[in-house]
Amino acid sequence: MTGSGLSPQSLTALQAALAAEQAASYGYGVVGAHLNASHAQSSSANSDWVAHQLARDSLAAMITAAGANPVPAPVAYQLPVPVSTPAEARSLAVILEEKVARAYLGLIALPEQSLRALGSRELTAAALRGAAWRRATVAFPGLATSIK
Amino acid sequence: MADGPNRRAVLAASAAAVPFLVSGCRGVQVLGTPPPPAPDVRLLRSAILTEQLMISRYHAVLAGPAASSGVTAKLSALLTEHEQHLVELKSRLIVPAGSAASARPAPGRATVPASLTDALGALSAAEHAASRRLATELLTVPPALAQLLGSISASEATHVPVLDQLRRTS
Repeated sequence: MTGSGLSPQSLTALQAALAAEQAASYGYGVVGAHLNASHAQSSSANSDWVAHQLARDSLAAMITAAGANPVPAPVAYQLPVPVSTPAEARSLAVILEEKVARAYLGLIALPEQSLRALGSRELTAAALRGAAWRRATVAFPGLATSIK
Repeated sequence: MADGPNRRAVLAASAAAVPFLVSGCRGVQVLGTPPPPAPDVRLLRSAILTEQLMISRYHAVLAGPAASSGVTAKLSALLTEHEQHLVELKSRLIVPAGSAASARPAPGRATVPASLTDALGALSAAEHAASRRLATELLTVPPALAQLLGSISASEATHVPVLDQLRRTS
C-alpha cells in the first residue's frame, strides 16, 4: 500500500471512525423504527441517520484514497441495549453518538492537522446530536469511559 | 543512490518525531500527559483563563434578579460543566512551585447585560467563540491535550443551543 500518505496510526483511527459510523448507520435504522413516525423525534432520527451515512461514505472514500481498503460493515450487529420502546430508542441513539464521538476523538490525537480538524468537527456534531437525544449536555463528550 | 533523498527525508522525519513520540508515549492513559513545553503552557493558561471568565459570567447571570428557577437550573448545569473543564485543564498545568505563573489570580467578577435575554445571548456568543477557539488550538498541541481541548470544545458547542432555547422562552 504505497502512496497512501497516511501513517498506519492514522489509517487505524480512520477505520475505527468508519466502524463507528457503520454501527450508527445500522443503529439509527432501529432507532427510527421505534419512534412514532408523526413525532418530531422521528424526523431527527432520519436526519441523524443521513448524517451518519454521509460520514460513513466520506470516511470510506478517504481510506480508499489513501490506498487502503475500508473494512466492510458486519452483516449484523448486537445492539448495546434492547430496544422496544421510544425511550429505549432514544437511549440507543445516545449510546451510538457517544461511540461515534469517542472514535472521532481518536482522530484528534493524530499528527495530521486535517484529520484533527475533521475529528473535532465530527466530535462536535456527535455531541450536539447526543445532547439532543439525552436532553442534557455532558462535560466531556467522547472522553466518557462508562459505556462499552 | 536513488534512495538518498528519501532516506534523508525519513531520517529527518524520525528525528522530528522523537519529541512528539516521547511526549505521546508517556501519556499512556487517554487523559495522561507529561509537563507540556512552554507554548502549550501558554495555551493552557489562556484556556484556563477563558474557563474562569466563563464561570464568572454564569455566576453574574445567576446572581441577577431576572432568572427564573427553570433558567437557574439549566444555567447551573452548564456552569457545573465549566467547573469540570476548569479542574481538568488546571490538572494539566504543571509549573514550578512559587513561580509567577502559578500565582496568577483568577479574573474578577464579569459584567453581563442587565436584561436576561441579552445576558443569555452574551453567554451563547461566548460559548460559541470559546468552542471555535479551542477547535483551532487543538491542531498544534500534543495529542492528549488536543483530545481534552476537542472534548471541551464539543461540550461548549452543545451549550449554545441550550442557551438559545432558554433565550427564546425566557
